[in-house]
Parts: sequence; C-alpha cells; structure tokens
Amino acid sequence: MTRRATWKLSAYAALSGFGLVAALVLGRPEIVALTAPFLIAVGVGLAVSASPRFTAEIAADERAVEGDEIDIRITLVASTPVDRLDVFVRLPPGLELAGGKQARSVRLARGERRELELTVRAERWGAHELGPVYLRARDPFGLLVAEGMLSRMPEIRVYPLEDTLRRILQPRETQVFSGSEVARHKGEGIEFADMRPWAPGDPLKRVNWRATARRGDVWVNESHPERNTDVILFVDSFAEARGQDASTLDLAVRATAALAHSYVGRRDRVGLISFGGILRWLEPGMGTVQLYRVVDALLDTQIILSYYWTGIDVIPQRTLPPNSLVVALSPLLDGRSVDALLDLRARGHDLCVLDVSPVPFMRRTESGVDSIAYDIWILRRDALRHRLQRSGVAVAEWREGTPLQAAVEEVRAFRRHARVARV
Amino acid sequence: MTVYAFSGGDTVASAGGAVAGAGTVVLAAGIVLRFPIAIPWAVMFAGSGYVVSRTHHSVVDGWAAVVGGALLLAAELAAWSLASDRRIHEERPVVVRQSLTVAALVVFAALVSFVLVGAAAVSATAGLLLTAVGVVAAVCAVAVILRLVR
Repeated sequence: MTRRATWKLSAYAALSGFGLVAALVLGRPEIVALTAPFLIAVGVGLAVSASPRFTAEIAADERAVEGDEIDIRITLVASTPVDRLDVFVRLPPGLELAGGKQARSVRLARGERRELELTVRAERWGAHELGPVYLRARDPFGLLVAEGMLSRMPEIRVYPLEDTLRRILQPRETQVFSGSEVARHKGEGIEFADMRPWAPGDPLKRVNWRATARRGDVWVNESHPERNTDVILFVDSFAEARGQDASTLDLAVRATAALAHSYVGRRDRVGLISFGGILRWLEPGMGTVQLYRVVDALLDTQIILSYYWTGIDVIPQRTLPPNSLVVALSPLLDGRSVDALLDLRARGHDLCVLDVSPVPFMRRTESGVDSIAYDIWILRRDALRHRLQRSGVAVAEWREGTPLQAAVEEVRAFRRHARVARV
Repeated sequence: MTVYAFSGGDTVASAGGAVAGAGTVVLAAGIVLRFPIAIPWAVMFAGSGYVVSRTHHSVVDGWAAVVGGALLLAAELAAWSLASDRRIHEERPVVVRQSLTVAALVVFAALVSFVLVGAAAVSATAGLLLTAVGVVAAVCAVAVILRLVR
C-alpha cells in the first residue's frame, strides 16, 4: 500500500506556521491561541498515526449461470488497529449488485478478522474478472492515508442460459464411431434397412425367416448402423447488432451452447470456430469435457473490430473434418463471414445457417431517408438469404424472443425437402 | 465567529466581521463544491477577521482559546464532510469513533490554547516569542509522549 499525506496535513501545518509567524510579527498573543489547535492536531495526529497493517482477500464462486446470484466475500485481518478502512469493489459489466454494499467504511481493532459480504447477479455470460478492490486506510485524524488494491482477483465464469432443444439438426453423413445417428449406409445396427439374398459369411441371426419361407431362398436383413457425427459450430463474431439488454452475439452464444449441449449428449464430436476479428477454434471432440471446453471458449468470444479481409483458408484443416455438419450462427452483417460461408458450401461442407436476426435491434423511422435505407437493408438481407439458399444452404431467421427450436425446425424442413446442390 | 467579530460594535470590528463572514462564505462554497483547498483559506479569513476586530484592544482576549477551538472544529467538520461520500456506507463504529476523536481533539486543543492565553496574558507581549516557542515545544512533547505510548 502507498502511504501519503492528505491535504489536511499540509493545510494544518501551513496554518500553524503562518499563525505563529503572524503572532510574532504583529505581537498578538491571541493569534497563537488561534493557531495552537491546528499545531496540536498536526502533532498529535502524526504521533498517533502508524502504518496500517492488515491483509485482505477476496473469494467468490468461480462458475455461475446467467441470472444466478453469486456471493463475494472479502476477508480482512488486521494486525494493527485501523481506524477507518474504506473498501470498494468495482464490478465489471455483466455483474450487478444484488445485495450488500459495494463501498463501505469499517473499523478494525488489533487482531480483528472481518468478513464483508456482497451479492452480485450475473446479468450476462462471459468471463468476468472481479474488481479491482480498492482499499484506503486513514489514520485517526485523517492526516495520512494508505491506499492500495488487491492484486489477485477471482474470475467468475458466467455460462449462458441455454434453450432446451427437443430435436436438432441431423448431418447428411456420419462418422465411423458409434453414436445416436442412423447412418445412411448399411452395416451392423438395429435400424432395418433392406433385405438381400444370403451370402457366405452372413450370420444366422440376420436371416429373415418369413421372407425365406415365402421365397424359397435364404434372405437376410440389412440394417443401418448407429454412428456419431462431427458437428462444427461456426460463430460469426465479426459484427453484432446490440440493443440495451442483448445483442446478436449474446443470442448466438446462447444458441451455440444449447446446440453443443445437445450434440454432446448424442455422443457426437463437437468443434467450434469463432470467426471474427480474432479467430478461435476448437478441434472436434466428444464428452462432457469437450462441452466445457466449447462453453469456456464461447465465454471468451467478443466482437473485435478488424478490417483484415480474412477467409476460411485461415481455419486449420483439422478443425473442419470431412463429412461434418457446419452449423453457422451469424447475423449476416459482415461480408467476410458471408463469403466464408459461401466458400464453405462451395467446398462441399454440409452447411446450415441460423441467421441471428439483427432486425429487432434496429428501429424503423416513420418516414424520411432513414426509413428508405431500412427497407433497402431488409430487402438486401432477404436477397442474401435467398442467395445462400440457392447455394443449397439451409437458412432460418431466428429472432430474439422466439424459441431456438422454431429456427432449428425451419432448417430441418428445408433440408428434408431441398436437394443437395453441387455448386 | 462572524457574530463574535461584529459584536465589537465599532467600524474596525465591523470590518473584522466582514472578513470573518467572507471566511464563512468560502467555507460553505468549499463544502458545496467539494474543494478542500478552500478550507484553510476559510479558516485564515475567519481568524484574520477575529484579529482585525481585536486591533484596538490591548488586553489579551480570553475567548481566543474558544475561537481557536471553534476554528479547528469547523475545519474538522468540513474535512469530514468532504471525505464522506454518500456512496460509501459508513458503519456506526466508524462514525462514533470519528465523532469522539474530533470532540476530544477540539476540547484538548481549546484547553491548551486557554492555558497559552492565560500564560500570554500574564507575561504580556514581552514574552510572545517565548510563548510561541513554548507552544511548539509543548506540542512536540505531547507528540513524543503519544508516540511512545502507542
């Protein structure tokens, strides 16, 4: 902590000196009587002041979900008396005070241990570093003050509140490991696929006895195996539309977390690409650990302004395995991300886009040039969606306030009826 | 302070009262505008007003000790007011402790001033230098004792 004199010390010392000199010059004893209290205050104040010695620690729950209340404890232990200790905890954006006092003055006796508690509410997902915590200790007469702040602050990781998805998007192709997705090809599995004449090597358990009896030859059942899939969640972090409480990035992150949760639950391998001013990626993996990796990576996602024209070439090849389903969550605001999506499709990736609509975040004026610009912008967005659909990409608009499942169902419907386009 | 300076009745006392009044205005402005440097200036104006009002009095004023204590009290309360922030929650023990500290300091300082005024009245102006040195020495002695006790 840094100890320094306050304005009071210099003011009182100056008044004392000035008064004594004035008393001598003017020969007035009353001036000494006027001055003496200030001199006494300085002398006594400096005599009783001592460097405050105390320790302070802050502790908080490290993980929470949006909307949760988090308890923060500041522990103060004094080895010398501290007459007045001001403690102020700065809260980062995304955390709001729900209980307790953010700034308070306490008095600590020698050897006293005190715990200050306050409760904050996690308003927005993200990795929030708490603090800093500012500490200011004053001596009894307020002549000297020691200031400092806690150096080690806890980080609170607030996970996004996820929508519950009953059905998710199914990839066209499956991978080689077992999972929950019925593969299109035939192999060892439960799901019935077809019948064919027996061939040497076919096990007896696969013989279809009814068909065999009816046709005279031995026929066997064929089945579809259950396989896992590779799903790449592509989050566009080039640009966002932000309202007072939410933004398209917030919605995209929540949707990505919900999709990751659903796919990991199906034993699928899930990867993540955060495509924006800063490129982040996570190679596909499976299991709960991978889910935490994905969500942790999402927490660090933010919009970084960049003019660099980047394409999907910068994405490591292992992050985009063949036959993987790419689910892109984008507000379709930045041309670079749109080009990247079209490029992905052109390279044969199974792509679908959840258009996190920025329209609710914009307000149309009643008349004037702004309203015309707004209308043109809406038309251009429609044209962009049609362009993606013509390329064989399923696009569904998802607006704030509507369930994610609705957008997912729209994409599923498109993929069920549309043909694969070879661009 | 202003009223006391005006109570002299003559023109000089009125001038002293005006200067002390200016000090009061400066103090109020300093508190309202949260401008700490105004406080010593206000104290100096008020003290000067008192001294001006005592220009034609040869006898040492016994109330000078009370005036000195009042000036210190005003400065302490003004400093407390500036240091306090509505956003900072002050616990009750902090407020009680500070109130007691200010009260004790003012009373102690007024008593010492009273002794000084008494000593100065006895020795008159011939011993003023010695009185000033005595004040400094007494304060230093008290400070050393407190330091050792602590």
